[in-house]
Amino acid sequence: MPQPITDIYLPRQARVEQIEIENSQIATFVLAFSDRRYNDAFRYQPGQFMLVSMPHCGEAPISISSTPTRPGNIHLSVRKAGKLTTAMHGLRVGDTIGLRGPYGRPFPMEQLAGRDLLFVAGGIGLAPLRAVVSSCLDQPDRFGALTVLYGSRTPSDIAFQSDLELWHNQGVDCRLTVDAAEPGWDGSVGLVTALLDDLALKLDKSTALICGPPLMFRAVLRRLADMGFSDHQVLTTMERHMKCGVGICRHCHMDGKLACVDGPVFSLAELRKLKIMELDG
Amino acid sequence: MVHTAATDSHLLKKDHLKGFLRKLAKEYRLVAPVRNRHGDVLFTVIDDLDAAEIELSEPPQNSLKQFFLPQQEQLSTYTVTPEGYDFHPVQATIPPTIYFGVHPCDLSAVLYMDVVFSRRQRDPFYLRRRHGSVLIGVNCNSPSPNCFCNATGSGPFLEMGSDLQLTDLGDRFLVETGRAPGQALIERWQGFFSPSADKDRAAHYQAFLEARGRFSRQVHVEQAIRQLEADTVEEKIWQELSLRCQDCGGCAYLCPTCTCFTISDQRLDAASGRRLRSWDACTFAGFTAMAGDHNPVQAKTAAIRQRFTHKLRDDVRLNGRPSCVGCGRCVSICFGGTDIVRFVERVCQGSL
Repeated sequence: MPQPITDIYLPRQARVEQIEIENSQIATFVLAFSDRRYNDAFRYQPGQFMLVSMPHCGEAPISISSTPTRPGNIHLSVRKAGKLTTAMHGLRVGDTIGLRGPYGRPFPMEQLAGRDLLFVAGGIGLAPLRAVVSSCLDQPDRFGALTVLYGSRTPSDIAFQSDLELWHNQGVDCRLTVDAAEPGWDGSVGLVTALLDDLALKLDKSTALICGPPLMFRAVLRRLADMGFSDHQVLTTMERHMKCGVGICRHCHMDGKLACVDGPVFSLAELRKLKIMELDG
Repeated sequence: MVHTAATDSHLLKKDHLKGFLRKLAKEYRLVAPVRNRHGDVLFTVIDDLDAAEIELSEPPQNSLKQFFLPQQEQLSTYTVTPEGYDFHPVQATIPPTIYFGVHPCDLSAVLYMDVVFSRRQRDPFYLRRRHGSVLIGVNCNSPSPNCFCNATGSGPFLEMGSDLQLTDLGDRFLVETGRAPGQALIERWQGFFSPSADKDRAAHYQAFLEARGRFSRQVHVEQAIRQLEADTVEEKIWQELSLRCQDCGGCAYLCPTCTCFTISDQRLDAASGRRLRSWDACTFAGFTAMAGDHNPVQAKTAAIRQRFTHKLRDDVRLNGRPSCVGCGRCVSICFGGTDIVRFVERVCQGSL
């Protein structure tokens, strides 16, 4: 008789332990599985995602924004975008959600060891990169210099402020820009690509990790290419509609690849082989 | 391809078929193509073998897909109580089932689904239906007008994959044993079978040759596969076909290898609901839509691209063969004229 097969579609209950309001649209939920033993044994890698369930809302894929170097809980940083994420923003400490995962191909941390890492993000795009930055900071001798370039719409939209401050204090070169200034803002205004102009990078030692909206993504890619980055030196994580998370349902198709199992992390060299909207135009 | 029957093949007289099936039906649920009172042939669970008119020469309108991946099934239930939000697994017992009279196209489709639902992750819902199932195939002596399994490598005769494989030789079937469960059925009910002789095996080969000559369509699937791999299919072909696609999903629902699904919640009351898995279609405009109306696939120009690229390029890369099995069902259902045969023909025209 065949062995019983694990029910890969069955979510597990997780409890909201803490909520960090990042801005009016983004909050970070600190979660722990209610099953203590499962929670203790739970492992993941930076760049992986979870499928989140909310009552009557189905499931949505959310990147893990915490680092596996600090086991015990999982952070999910969520922007209010649709029905499920809006429901999440109604959660309070002590409430429960459903989780299954972790899924997806993570960032290649082994390959990144020893390299200078340039993180370029816009808006909620910093969430998956936050997992990498925190992980690097927890292993200080393993990676080279860390630089974070972060674009937001307005100064009040700047999310992850406490992280940015913490990272800055730990020696990360953090630079911010906004599309539109507000009174009191004396920082940079304009596209995140402008922040690249002032950097003194050791090109051969550097890898760029990018995550943000398609327009920003394309602009950053062009700028990095001008600076001399090869397609192998650029990594990103893709956003797609997903249902199963395990490579069967095919909602996240990307010209023959599936974002859930072949990604969500891809090198630009891998993406160049695909016909996808993000690289089109 | 060698379609010579093995020397250890058996004979089953047609007069003995019902008797054999009656034995099987005592221990298994029996599913076979049955002509219903409207004249339609459909794979049906047979409760009363004497009343059922099993039809083996006409292709059934449905495939076996619905038996392994139902159009809708419950994955779990959930409750919201003061203790929290909990999911509860669904317990179901699937009776061991014999699928009798399965044509090579549909049998090839099941073998493809086996790969889809176990390659990367073992899908418990599919596999618990598939475990304990026995496939008894029947080779196609006279392909129907829309059939093109000869162009997809999945017929008209099947070489491997079934548990027992039957070939109609007039008053008798030649029975080839495939996988172990088929061999066990023969041994268990050997009274129904007699050894085959050289002339039976010669008749089997003759039937194969004749069937191969009876296809009314020549569909150059190989050429479309080559063009997709070489990326030489013109953009205007995708656009033309995408514009003509009526977004009905009929092709995907009837297709024996279309296994894309969606997962959604059905609220029962404020504190409970069911999580459902349902058939979906990559051609639907919302298939890739994300929250906030963001869609990485332009429906008007690219909806149909995924359908044919997946079947004729991506699956060839993964499995060495296309996942179109040439059953022709989409050809008969598509009123927009954007079925896979039209696609292949359009691609071939474009290259003239």
